Amino acid sequence: MDLQIALLLGQDGLTNGAIYALLALALVLVFAVTRVIFIPQGEFVAFGALTLASLQAGKLPGTVWLLLALGVLIGVLEGSRAVRAGQLRRLPLIVLLNVGVPLLLAGTLIAVSPATLPLPVQVLLALMLVVPLGPMIYRLAYQPVAEASVLVLLIVSVAVHVALTGLGLLFFGAEGSRTPPFTEVSFAVGDALLQGQTVLVIVASLGLIIALYLFFERTIYGKALRATAMNRTGARLMGISGTLAGMLSFTLAALIGVLSGILISPITTIYYDSGFLIGLKGFVGAIIGGLASYPVAAAGAALVGLLESYSSFWASAFKEVIVFTLIIPVLLWRSLKTTHVEEQ
Amino acid sequence: MPAVRSTTLLAVFIVALLVAPLLLPEFYITLLDYIGLYAIVALGLVVLTGVGGLTSFGQAAFVGLGAYSSAYLTTVHGVSPWLTLPAGLLVTAVVAISLGLVTLRLSGHFLPLGTIAWGISLYYLFGNLAGLGGHTGLTGIPPLTLFDLEVKTGREFFYLIWAVLLLALLATRNLLDSREGRAIRALRGGSVMAEAMGVHTARSKIVIFTLAALYASTSGWLYAHLQRFVNPTPFSLTQGIEYLFMAVIGGVAHVWGAIVGAGLISILKQWLQDWLPKLLGQSGNFEIIVFGVLMIFVLQRARDGVWPMIARHFPQPPTRAQLREAPPLARRERPAAGAVLLEVKDACKRFGGLVANDRMNFQVRAGEVMALIGPNGAGKSTMFNGISGVDPLTSGSVIFRGERVESLPARDIARLGMSRTFQHVRLLPGMSVLENVAIGAHLRGRKGFVAAACRADRDEEDRLLFEAARQIERCGLSEQMHEPAGSLPLGKQRIVEIARALAADPCLLLLDEPAAGLRYLEKQALGDLLRRLRDEGIGILLVEHDMDFVMGLADRVVVMEFGQKLAAGLPEDIQRNPAVVEAYLGGVE
Amino acid sequence: MRINARIGRLLAVLAAAFAVTVHADINVGVTLSATGPAASLGIPEKNSFALLPTTIAGQKVNYIVLDDASDTTTAVKNTRKLIAENKVDVIVGSTITPNSLAMIDVVAEAETPMISMAASSRIIEPMDAKRYWVFKTPQNDAQMATAIVEHMTNNNVKSVAYIGFADAYGEGWWNEFSKIAEVRKIQIVANERFNRADTSVTGQVLKIMAAKPDAVLVGGAGTPAALPQKSLKEKGYKGMMYQTHGVANADFLRVCGKDCEGTLLPAGPVLVAGQLPDSNPIKKAALEYVNKYEAAHGKGSVSTFGAHAWDAAKLLASAVPEALKKGQPGTREFRKALRDALEATRNVTAAHGVFNLSAQDHLGFDQRARVMVRIEGGNWKLVQ
Repeated sequence: MDLQIALLLGQDGLTNGAIYALLALALVLVFAVTRVIFIPQGEFVAFGALTLASLQAGKLPGTVWLLLALGVLIGVLEGSRAVRAGQLRRLPLIVLLNVGVPLLLAGTLIAVSPATLPLPVQVLLALMLVVPLGPMIYRLAYQPVAEASVLVLLIVSVAVHVALTGLGLLFFGAEGSRTPPFTEVSFAVGDALLQGQTVLVIVASLGLIIALYLFFERTIYGKALRATAMNRTGARLMGISGTLAGMLSFTLAALIGVLSGILISPITTIYYDSGFLIGLKGFVGAIIGGLASYPVAAAGAALVGLLESYSSFWASAFKEVIVFTLIIPVLLWRSLKTTHVEEQ
Repeated sequence: MPAVRSTTLLAVFIVALLVAPLLLPEFYITLLDYIGLYAIVALGLVVLTGVGGLTSFGQAAFVGLGAYSSAYLTTVHGVSPWLTLPAGLLVTAVVAISLGLVTLRLSGHFLPLGTIAWGISLYYLFGNLAGLGGHTGLTGIPPLTLFDLEVKTGREFFYLIWAVLLLALLATRNLLDSREGRAIRALRGGSVMAEAMGVHTARSKIVIFTLAALYASTSGWLYAHLQRFVNPTPFSLTQGIEYLFMAVIGGVAHVWGAIVGAGLISILKQWLQDWLPKLLGQSGNFEIIVFGVLMIFVLQRARDGVWPMIARHFPQPPTRAQLREAPPLARRERPAAGAVLLEVKDACKRFGGLVANDRMNFQVRAGEVMALIGPNGAGKSTMFNGISGVDPLTSGSVIFRGERVESLPARDIARLGMSRTFQHVRLLPGMSVLENVAIGAHLRGRKGFVAAACRADRDEEDRLLFEAARQIERCGLSEQMHEPAGSLPLGKQRIVEIARALAADPCLLLLDEPAAGLRYLEKQALGDLLRRLRDEGIGILLVEHDMDFVMGLADRVVVMEFGQKLAAGLPEDIQRNPAVVEAYLGGVE
Repeated sequence: MRINARIGRLLAVLAAAFAVTVHADINVGVTLSATGPAASLGIPEKNSFALLPTTIAGQKVNYIVLDDASDTTTAVKNTRKLIAENKVDVIVGSTITPNSLAMIDVVAEAETPMISMAASSRIIEPMDAKRYWVFKTPQNDAQMATAIVEHMTNNNVKSVAYIGFADAYGEGWWNEFSKIAEVRKIQIVANERFNRADTSVTGQVLKIMAAKPDAVLVGGAGTPAALPQKSLKEKGYKGMMYQTHGVANADFLRVCGKDCEGTLLPAGPVLVAGQLPDSNPIKKAALEYVNKYEAAHGKGSVSTFGAHAWDAAKLLASAVPEALKKGQPGTREFRKALRDALEATRNVTAAHGVFNLSAQDHLGFDQRARVMVRIEGGNWKLVQ
């Protein structure tokens, strides 16, 4: 292995690591706020990328129907609750928000041909289609069991993941898709070419991480989320609704997932079930961060990416064996470092 | 584990098993075979996750170890399948213990991820190791033979699989209802209490981890000879998640939950496969979507799993452990009254920059009540944790009955005869008062896991429970003996903690705010109890805020402030000490 | 209209019910991988079963199609279910090699013939008492690998690197290809693996580049096989590229795009049916399938995998009339007779080739069952 190969491998590892890091941040966020280990995080990566690909191929992505179906379900749930509570005045808003908006979106997609739109508009459409699924899934699957144990919430996550994978296959088929790159720029590194898109992934991930930091530090919603993460009961007493915090964290997680998907789909092929492994590696990063620390989680994710890249060079058949076996001592080290006496 | 109900249930279950193959169509027998295989694995998860609180995604890899050991030995080396079972178990035990030694040190979420990590590693090893048939698989695994009979068809296998499951079920039930079983159940309440009662929690964790792995391995051995083909896919992480899924859906805290979960999921999948194409047409693959959605729904309706929901519909006889008159347990030799039991010298404890205990010195003698008082945050509970080994001192020494104990683990200090209660009650709310107290007597029994699983521990168990009952009576809680500890008011729960500490037959009792939450009469009764204990020659170190209670009871008092000893002496001297008055009333001008 | 149709259907059902009393239906049990990692292979197979004629020799045929989620346990469970519950006369499936291997014991015990749609020759070789019941329709990996190696030797390829799936498919191809290449004195300079859902194969690609091979063979199926090739192009690889017949569907061309220009692969003739000379008997049989499939699923939707299912039905169509002479569907005699008739298949032209089976060869394809194809202008082009 010469220096050039080492550099290229490092760059490759960092590119993947950047995506893992984004997902790790989302996982940490969701866990801290809701105690949910969000296994379906990866599905948002796949759904985001594949929805964009469908739009570009001039097809109506199946996620539209999912959005509509979930919207109707929530509309019915919230609507009947409002009726029972005698708050009939809230009905129009509930219907408009949950059914009207998705219908409008579906109508728009059918009316205009999305394939002809410029790339940024397509990306925006994909975001509008997939991101709302995050809070909707929280409302339908998690909120009714919000107080259950971490184990039960985890198993709910598994069930959501199973259902979403099935839907992914139904919507997008078994074959993968790619989307055109955002930039065609490429740099020469020795004999090899370095694509601008891979650099973009790293830069955009860093940008997103900084944006998240500002969101948590500067905005009222960010602060509310942080408060909930630190002390749920306390936050509730201060008037921060657990449901709102949950919805918000799921919205952010979905947003991060979809953006990750859109970022990497030009440099790799995304399949309906790609999300699980990508999410799992993000999860590894998140756990290395103890599901609590954002910077350590990001560093852990980058470590996973690098491990993966170098081991695929040295012994590709044993890549997963190497990556996951090496993770264990890291976990052990982190675990010993974060050991604390149980609360007295 | 309510004994009466379980026995009836078991009888019904066995009868159902015996007749099932005679009544059910062929395919349902096959399905039951697979359900049995899954349930054996899920049963291991009940012990590991539901009872012990350790979540594992890696069970499928252990199934794979059992299956591959047998497949390799029978096809490549022509070993008899009956010999490969112990061989597979041995391989699994070695792997499980080495993995356990590493991963069980992981705390919190590190543990499940650790299991994911080696689950994936083992899966890819199955696919890449020479001689294991690669990703394509190993064919030609011989069927099991019993004398001259080949165990080949679904019906023959049915009896074998369910006999194994039944044995595992009984062994698990017996184990959980025993001394070691209580220790395992105590793991969920956190290791601090269990260690303070003398439970070697790390060992208990390894044991249940290995037990669950051995169950999985047995299931794998059966699988290999039922399927007569192995390849890596059935041992993947996905399948590992599925096992956990089964256990949780069924009811992860109950042995029957394993069977219910495995059955429910397998049968549901079959029905979906049969009915969905008829309802929705052949074109799509709706099974997993509907399955996922249904499972979310089930979890929302029954978050503790389906079994507790079913169990609710059976008439429940009152649940009480059988209590039999039994000869008392041996008691330890106790020091003469007045002998120094405990000596704390220059004890310091720092948390980062904060000094919680600063050069503390005092003694406790046999047959006296010594009170440690001070304002909130003075460092009293920290001192307790330092003495009992829960959270060792930074420097200084603790001498208990002539031995230096400051660097011993809590369980070894407990073994020497120190027992304690906690400021924040640490009981297992779902267990009865009797069982909670019996945990205190853990060190007074000897029988291990194997004896418990085959019920060879009953004499000792009777004596342990009888001793626990005696201590409960002594503390005046006979009425509540069979109630779940969590249902008692907080004050009574503190008394249960004292009974539990007494069940250990201690020479020194450390009581952290025992009178908090008690009413006046209850306080009096507690005072009487402590006086009696003192008269028996037990030394008592007491932290308490109720000054009337302390002053009426204590022989000597040490006052702490800001981690330091402020004063020490007889109660009446302390009450007159201006520094103490200042500390308690300070700031009020 | 609607009501008429309903009455018509009712009558048909009644007629069918009546017919049952005279002749039992033929039940074909199918288990395939319509979900899970092999879904891209299983779905076109599943679609093909919907296109099959519902009668053979005047006898009604029921296709009972189950999904095994690319999982061996489920495949075996499905097989047992089809045999015990549905009393099928023949099993078709499964899509992938491990599943098919796992099913052999079950069908042999139940004395039910089975036609696999998976690639490995291990499914039917070495012939023994169990494989006596097992047939398959896809070309053996060995046959396809030979085509590649021949093409390589003819084009002066001296050294080759292999990168394949880390699963049974990649492994099967490696075993066959490495064996044949060694015989033909082609040096294999790298052997790498990747996972279907990997997002990057940079490490493997760099290692291959460092070995400077004349050609690279990618052993993968469907769109995932495009990733190594795109990566190689991106890193500046200029040598020859070979793929396997696993990529032969339109999605691969869509995803790989211009990076796959000039790529060579062996495939069943069905892939380039329209380009076959009219003298080739396979042309007509293959076009029949292509037209049927594309009529139902749109232009360009056809893949070679679905054709394996179609070919299994072709085998059945020729064997069932013979078997009907010996016994009633649903009986042991019929199944045995069906097996014998399958083994006696001669000159049956199907979408992938011409079947000539024997007691030793339960596939029965010859050289006509494979062609070399080059990707040109985003299309499959027959290499003459």
